[in-house]
Amino acid sequence: MINRRNFLTTVALGTASAAVLAACGQPAPAQTGSASNPVTINYTWWGNDDRAERTRKAIALFESKNPDIKVNGNFTDFAGYWQKRATEAAGGGLPDVMQWDLSYLRDYGQRNQLLDLGTVKINTDAFDKSLLPSGQIRGKTYGIPTSTNAFAVYYDPAKLASLGIAEPDGTWTYKEYNAFLAEVGAKSNGALFGGTDYTGIWWMFNIWLRQNNIEAFTEDGKLGFSKDDLKKWWNQTAALRGTPAIVSEERVTQLAPKSPFGSNVSATESTWDNFMAAYLGDSGAKELKLVPVPSDDKDNLGLFLKPSMLMVASAKTKYKDAAARFIDFMVNDPEVGQIFKTSRGVPASKTQRDGTTFEGTDKLVVDYEKSIEKYLKDAPEPPIVGFGTLETSFKRISSDLNFGKVTVDGAADAWFKEAEDLIKQNS
Amino acid sequence: MTQSPTLNRRSTSSTPPLPRKSRQRGADARAGYTFLLPWLLGFIALTVGPMISSLYLSFTNYNLFDPPKWIGLDNYTTLFQDERFLQSVGVTLSYVVFGTPLKLAAALAVAMLLNSKRKGQGFYRSAFYAPSLIGASVSIAIVWKAMFGDSGPVDQGLSFFGINLGGWVGNPSMTMPMMILLTVWQFGAPMVIFLAGLKQIPADLYEAASMDGAGPVRKFFNITWPMLSPVIFFNLLMETIHAFQIFASAYIISNGEGGPAGSTLFYTLYLYLRGFSDFRMGYASAMAWLLVIVVGIITLIFFKTSKSWVHYSGDAK
Repeated sequence: MINRRNFLTTVALGTASAAVLAACGQPAPAQTGSASNPVTINYTWWGNDDRAERTRKAIALFESKNPDIKVNGNFTDFAGYWQKRATEAAGGGLPDVMQWDLSYLRDYGQRNQLLDLGTVKINTDAFDKSLLPSGQIRGKTYGIPTSTNAFAVYYDPAKLASLGIAEPDGTWTYKEYNAFLAEVGAKSNGALFGGTDYTGIWWMFNIWLRQNNIEAFTEDGKLGFSKDDLKKWWNQTAALRGTPAIVSEERVTQLAPKSPFGSNVSATESTWDNFMAAYLGDSGAKELKLVPVPSDDKDNLGLFLKPSMLMVASAKTKYKDAAARFIDFMVNDPEVGQIFKTSRGVPASKTQRDGTTFEGTDKLVVDYEKSIEKYLKDAPEPPIVGFGTLETSFKRISSDLNFGKVTVDGAADAWFKEAEDLIKQNS
Repeated sequence: MTQSPTLNRRSTSSTPPLPRKSRQRGADARAGYTFLLPWLLGFIALTVGPMISSLYLSFTNYNLFDPPKWIGLDNYTTLFQDERFLQSVGVTLSYVVFGTPLKLAAALAVAMLLNSKRKGQGFYRSAFYAPSLIGASVSIAIVWKAMFGDSGPVDQGLSFFGINLGGWVGNPSMTMPMMILLTVWQFGAPMVIFLAGLKQIPADLYEAASMDGAGPVRKFFNITWPMLSPVIFFNLLMETIHAFQIFASAYIISNGEGGPAGSTLFYTLYLYLRGFSDFRMGYASAMAWLLVIVVGIITLIFFKTSKSWVHYSGDAK
């Protein structure tokens, strides 16, 4: 059994031991362990304290069921997570098992840093067949989705009620959504902003493209949309920037890494539906609700289920079997579902989903994904190599736009230049 | 130190009548090298080696995973078409040009105050030096961020006087003053060196000047400044080089992004982002080497111009 103190020590020593393991590679250790002489695998993830606590429980459960394997846990925040993986990969010392994001799957998968999970034993019978391709590149499986999430607009009903604004029903056009944001800003006299500038969120742009039947990336890894599309998108909120409808960029910067919505500065936020638990914790709100994103085409919301995170293994792991067993356990075990609820998203494996009881806000998230089922399209393939960088520069350039440092045309030029440069670099 | 053994060896061959003593010296040299070895090995393996490989990488397209591809001078030429690179140069230059002189002025002013004979000077010296002991650390950057944030102490203090600037951290035009204040506040290291320099100036020079009726301003420009000029030169050089290398505080205050609106995108921060976020290691290496060259040139210019204003004691002039 692991107690809290043991666990903290483990977390603290995680990095150090990873380095030591990488260093003493020569005398090949046994591939499999036994209860008396267990093998140790390293597992790393990003997230907050809440996820760390849940992961600790899941690891303890795994170790009690698999006495021949010990799991060393280690975590950081999302931004620092990728810088650390880059350094480790360069040194050939990636942890055995890692939580992964779709944005970075190609960067590492195509460059042979990740284990082809088709070569080890992981049960995927309980997975929706349309979801698995999101972890596959050129026929090889590099990641198994733990769970799915969908994009949504969050709002706090209590805040809207106090301003005398009716709750949205989720059937709105962009014009109506903009009017709603402006109404919040006007009625609160600037005490509460409508929301952050949604045109600064890559995935909102991606969804809007899909609503207009445009794919963000072509199959050969080029951009599928034009500069004019991007200009049109960034012009959507041109009239709202600098008004109380949109959170000022100064405030966004000050509050980072917390979100304005979690800090009770804005009335709405558009993001993934698995942020529910984090927002509830940050804002202290009694209740938060979810509605679909706006669309000018009532029959096409452009929504899709995305793997909120994947489980991957390092191509260089010495314990393929142990790593596979841990991944299988994390994605399929019903008790793991019960531990994480919807904090990783809605469990992707049916076994895990059926074994989890969703109540309260967790039920809201599950119900939301059910309510949009008829609008869902196929999950997008893993985005192009370097997508993480493009997503970051999209956010940065929209932030410059809100600071008034660039015009919409200048912003679109700048982003396209960076994107084309990056695609050229990686081709 | 490293030179003396070579000199000794030469003396061995030219002065054979002292074999025993020189053998002794040879043994000393060997012992010296042995003691030096751990550092030397570290220096070669951890500094010289990586520097040479980074020079090679700067001519390649290297993404950390695939083998580097030779692309000649491409990295260096694309640098100057990269708007973010030019922005980072602008940010860093304004920091060096405004921050360094202000920091040295603060250091010199405090050193002169602490040089006078007063009770409890020892305490004051330690107190004024303290900020630079903790100044470079991560924790102080976090404190700074909180102090200059929305409704932080600085914002509240200023609004008490009717100045409403809001938080400095989120305001692109206020982040540079904030970063400069942070470096000025860490004046301890140059201050201690100034203090040592001031103590070297013979008191009789001031006495003689007083007798001739010179006031404090005259004394400063005619005695203190020229006598202290080698120390000023040293501090100016060191602080300029340091200022070019600013990284940690900018990384912490901007969450590693160089924001808001690129106002804290310092040269080294952009270099880091290029290397470790965008996987453009070749590009980052080219940036590093360009920095080395530019700092080298600036140092050279400093040395050339120093002849006209730095006076070493014992100089004929």
